[in-house]
Amino acid sequence: MENEKAVNKGIFEAEVLSNQQIRQCYYRLNLQFDAKGSRLFENVAPGQFSELDLSNVSLPETSMIPIHLRDTSAKQILLRRPFSFSDIVVSPLTEGCCVKAEILYCVLGPATVRMMSLKCDDRISVLGPLGKGFMVPDGLKQAILVAGGMGSPPVLHLANHLKQHHPDCEVIAFVGAKSIESFPFTVRIGNAKNLVLEEFERIGIPSHIATDDGSAGYHGFVTDNVRHWLENNPVDPASSAVFACGPEPMLAGTARVAKDFNLPCQVSMERMMACGIGLCQSCAVEVKKNSDTEYQLCCKNGPVFNAEDVVFEEE
Amino acid sequence: MEQNSNLKVDFAGLTLASPVITASGTCGYADELAEFMDVSRLGAITTKSISLEPRKGNPTPRIVETNSGMLNAIGLANMGLQRFQDEIIPVLQSLDTKIFVNLAGKTIDEYVKVAQTLAHSDAIDGFELNISCPNVKKGGITFGTDPKLIKEITSAVKDVCLSKPLMVKLTPTVTDISMTAAAAVEAGADALSLVNTFTAMVIDVQKRKPVLANRTGGLSGPAIKPIAVYLVNKVYNEVARDAGIPILGMGGIRTVSDALEFIIAGATAVGIGTATFVYPDTTKNIIDGLATYCKNEGISNITELIGCLE
Ligand SMILES: Cc1cc2nc3c(=O)[nH]c(=O)nc-3n(C[C@H](O)[C@H](O)[C@H](O)COP(=O)(O)OP(=O)(O)OC[C@H]3O[C@@H](n4cnc5c(N)ncnc54)[C@H](O)[C@@H]3O)c2cc1C
Ligand SMILES: Cc1cc2nc3c(=O)[nH]c(=O)nc-3n(C[C@H](O)[C@H](O)[C@H](O)COP(=O)(O)O)c2cc1C
Ligand code: FES
Repeated sequence: MENEKAVNKGIFEAEVLSNQQIRQCYYRLNLQFDAKGSRLFENVAPGQFSELDLSNVSLPETSMIPIHLRDTSAKQILLRRPFSFSDIVVSPLTEGCCVKAEILYCVLGPATVRMMSLKCDDRISVLGPLGKGFMVPDGLKQAILVAGGMGSPPVLHLANHLKQHHPDCEVIAFVGAKSIESFPFTVRIGNAKNLVLEEFERIGIPSHIATDDGSAGYHGFVTDNVRHWLENNPVDPASSAVFACGPEPMLAGTARVAKDFNLPCQVSMERMMACGIGLCQSCAVEVKKNSDTEYQLCCKNGPVFNAEDVVFEEE
Repeated sequence: MEQNSNLKVDFAGLTLASPVITASGTCGYADELAEFMDVSRLGAITTKSISLEPRKGNPTPRIVETNSGMLNAIGLANMGLQRFQDEIIPVLQSLDTKIFVNLAGKTIDEYVKVAQTLAHSDAIDGFELNISCPNVKKGGITFGTDPKLIKEITSAVKDVCLSKPLMVKLTPTVTDISMTAAAAVEAGADALSLVNTFTAMVIDVQKRKPVLANRTGGLSGPAIKPIAVYLVNKVYNEVARDAGIPILGMGGIRTVSDALEFIIAGATAVGIGTATFVYPDTTKNIIDGLATYCKNEGISNITELIGCLE
């Protein structure tokens, strides 16, 4: 196993390189970490996350704020907000501030509305890297990535990581969203006239998309798409693994599919977090233990858990 | 490491390196905090509430943010006395600071058992009696609102603390906090800590349901600070000063001047909670700032400021 190195965490500053709208409520934020942050993030594992202090960022002009958020986004913010990364690039040539990070975010409340107004050269305080990320088992030959909506960023980070550090591992991505408008990625027509996601295609990873409303790709849940694929493309459980991020019902569904095909499965969970570093116990995830269950901390013991351990909260 | 002699305070018989203490339930088991600061500069660390049996705590969501504050309903999630002894005490022992263990229970007997067992541990310097948790169905705040019960539980626990100081943590959710403070002092409390969180609720207007799974939670953070300062001053004037009992004042402290307000109002030490979630090195910055303040104001020791409110 790799990645369980005890990476230290810390508070540092990041400079905004760019902040662009992808579509609708989805944005891409590119950051340059300072020397301290670069040191801390050099060996970060995909799935590890950070906490951003956005309390000093001002609200954008009212006309920029989505109408349905104008009332609630006036709320002041106190706590940091957790974000994972869609990519971390360590440049080997530059010393010092060598880490660039990319965050994909969805605007849905006071903090993310403020994020919209971040511009080039702005500085924000980052706390990280936090939690335990995905673990790539030794001898992995086939990685099946499953992502839903705004849960997708860390799956892209993992895809980038696998391509770079595990060139022998075959990677395939399944991404689901409500409709074609709600992917945090760029949807394109691929070689086989099928729809693919550019962010995955760019690094040579085939992607299968599913939409709840059938507006693009497979009509239905991404988990059903994965099941179909596995029925037609048997994989070897000894050298394959499923890695998933997204809404909890989707994670629960992915866990069921993985179990049916005897595949090990890791899921990245989300919880409301006050601290992100194990101080407050707000981020409890119910985990099976012997014949009973216990609460573990999403921010410290997770956010990535073994799917078979988690008691999912399904609505 | 670096210590500031002008910040040394005597608190219920203990000599603290500084008057800055981490608030219960907001510093994990202290090891997490050690990554961000030199804990030997803290006056003390207060542990999460420990109960006799492990408690899973409440379902999620356990927190929700509000303007300048947050509600929590963790539900006293903790590993219970046995695992605390086996796993945490060795960690605490390695930390170069004073340790207060925060005690919780459903019955007086439970509080007594936990205190009795831990009183024998060298790793522990004192106790904080939590009779003010708003987030559990039994025990907690029900003890903290009734002066008769406060006396009963305080004296029962005091009997088993051996020579370790016992601090009683008061809830602000009472009509007259001086009555509950006086009850604790009469029953033998060596110190008072206030305030715990205020019972509160946030409603999701779409679902027309409370946001927290527990429905209600305790409000903490900058939003409660002016009320907490007032309550500390009230208890100082009406109970603590004449009884010679020190106060650990807390509620919404985020900056150096916030901490000074509490000390001027009558607190001997200050507790930092919610602010640590945003900047885990808050306590360090406050300690530095207090030292600078003393130096600039020509104050030889911070205790000169206690209760100096005009
Ligand atoms: C480990 C982790 C990684 C994350 N990575 C990303 C990311 O890469 N990109 C991204 O856009 N978002 C990510 N999030 C979610 C992000 O933190 C929230 O969207 C953000 O905090 C919302 O803040 P706000 O003030 O804008 O909205 P709020 O008003 O705080 O929230 C808006 C809505 O989102 C829900 N919500 C907020 N936070 C969470 C949460 N942690 N879990 C479940 N529901 C939540 C709230 O219940 C509410 O309905 C991540 C969360 C976690 C825990
Ligand atoms: C997440 C959280 C958990 C808490 N847990 C406890 C606890 O276990 N026992 C206790 O006595 N107080 C607990 N408290 C109360 C704090 O110790 C403190 O009294 C209160 O939060 C006010 O200080 P603050 O505004 O600086 O946070 C908790 C507070 C928070 C925010
Ligand atoms: S968010 Fe505070 S313990 Fe996990």
